[in-house]
Amino acid sequence: MKYLSFIVLALFSLHGYAASTGRIFVTNESGNTITVINSETNKVETTIDIGKRPRGIGLSPDASELYVAVSDEDVIKVVDPQSLKVLREFKAGSDPETFAVHPNGHIYISNEDDAKASVYDPKTGKLIAEIPVGLEPEGVAISPDGRKVIVTSESTNMLHVLSVPEHQIIGNILVSARPRAATFSRDGKIAYASAEIGGEVVKVDAENFKILKKGSIGGEKAKPKDVLLSKDEKELYVAGGRADKVFLLDAGTMEIKKEIPVGKRVWGLAMTKDGKRIYTTDGVSNTVSVIDTGTNETVATIPVGEMPWGVVIDD
Amino acid sequence: MKRTGFLIKTASSLLAILLFSSLVIAEDITIRLSYVGDTGNSAYLGAQQGLSEANLQGQFLHQQYLLETVPADAALTTDYAHHIAVVAAVDHDTLRKLLDKLPNIPVFNVNLEDDDLRTACFQNALHIVPSRRMKQDAVSQWLKKNPEATVTAQTWHPEFVKFAARDLNKRFTKNYKKPMDDPAWAGWAAVKMTSDTVARENITDPAKLLDYLKTSLLFDGQMGIEMNFRPTGQLRQPLLIIENGKIAGEAPVKGVANPTDLDSLGNVECAK
Repeated sequence: MKYLSFIVLALFSLHGYAASTGRIFVTNESGNTITVINSETNKVETTIDIGKRPRGIGLSPDASELYVAVSDEDVIKVVDPQSLKVLREFKAGSDPETFAVHPNGHIYISNEDDAKASVYDPKTGKLIAEIPVGLEPEGVAISPDGRKVIVTSESTNMLHVLSVPEHQIIGNILVSARPRAATFSRDGKIAYASAEIGGEVVKVDAENFKILKKGSIGGEKAKPKDVLLSKDEKELYVAGGRADKVFLLDAGTMEIKKEIPVGKRVWGLAMTKDGKRIYTTDGVSNTVSVIDTGTNETVATIPVGEMPWGVVIDD
Repeated sequence: MKRTGFLIKTASSLLAILLFSSLVIAEDITIRLSYVGDTGNSAYLGAQQGLSEANLQGQFLHQQYLLETVPADAALTTDYAHHIAVVAAVDHDTLRKLLDKLPNIPVFNVNLEDDDLRTACFQNALHIVPSRRMKQDAVSQWLKKNPEATVTAQTWHPEFVKFAARDLNKRFTKNYKKPMDDPAWAGWAAVKMTSDTVARENITDPAKLLDYLKTSLLFDGQMGIEMNFRPTGQLRQPLLIIENGKIAGEAPVKGVANPTDLDSLGNVECAK
């Protein structure tokens, strides 16, 4: 174990980024805090109070600002990742939950109660656009080139593909029950999305808006949430919810290759830039698990705050 | 140069809009459902809620849903030829006659608990509300663990928040200024499972809809599971145990029955 973490540490050091803090930030939904983890040691550095029911979390494109959706306060708070001070906050609709940060710096957020997606400029806090989508919008994913945004609507069972900057819906893909999280391939042509109640992950053509393949995430407790592509885009990691596992799928065949045990009710996933490690939020265990993507084993478990929800890595 | 580019862009996007709207007109389909019964019944509000959700989805798929109302006393004289399904909140006798009249149209029962309507196994009846026996079984299971308790069982509760029940309760209360009860949930579910099937399977024929609902349905009732029907036409469902107006637990009751064995509640077989 020690030896493994030493290797992980050594590998990570080779990839150090001058401007980054090397910190991992985790929102604790019930703890009302953010846990700050040192990614080199996988030890908790500090815990900061953030506000009532923090959930979605993300970094600005230059990683100079950390954004946290504080759901029960209806705001997004802006935190300095260096000083860990709250810089400012802005209103972000009713009960803000999941968002993604566009390469241009804007925040795309789903408004679950209003069947809308909203776009905010976090520099000014101004609302830039509102786009009507299906019921209970949840996951938001942005293509790496910034031209497309996917918003999932859980009760309309759709992936809505929006164009940027027009903010028009250019495609709707009907998937199985309760689509949640989505992610794009690097070229933006393919996307993957989880369907919680359908117990599936779908691979879709994000240009022609068609389902290409479905992968079944077995077991009645498996309620898939976050999805993440491996660095070579050949494998897909799926947080399995109450299956207490991360499922590793072949991104081509969409078949399960491996089940990686982590903590209880795993929802959030984040990968280091070098693709070598994945951090998971285990909501019921109050832990973050660290997966080595070389061996696809859990190599460390880090105790965090109460009910960890989202995770982002500043590396 | 810039200006020309802009003009070309504008012209082409106008053309795209024109082409798009003509496609929309060409592809739009209209789906008609009937609600039979008193519109003062909360099942009607539930059906209206389902209708608004069907149309919200329909706008993305070029499908429009209509819910036409039929008073209970006109139930048996109305022509349902252009209707894909009937949501019925009527009395026992009227329901039986309606089922006889419409052998190839799905008829949703959203208010009657009578067990004989289940065990009769009408081919076109889809009972959304739980039968009396299902409720009794849920209560009996609960009493095995809590002998002193005074409880009842029901499908839905305005304080049900687990899974996405909270979201549905919020939507309903916002629209109708009253809490969602069992008939309201049933009305909602009847319309929503119809629109789900039309959207997914491109089914517009009532007989095909009936077959799909009875054999292939996986319905998200915002209770955290995929729901389907028994051969008796009864919707399989977990029930909430209610004590002093509050949710005390769920059935099938853990420790007494397998929580996933929904057939531990009520009759599963047809009377012979």
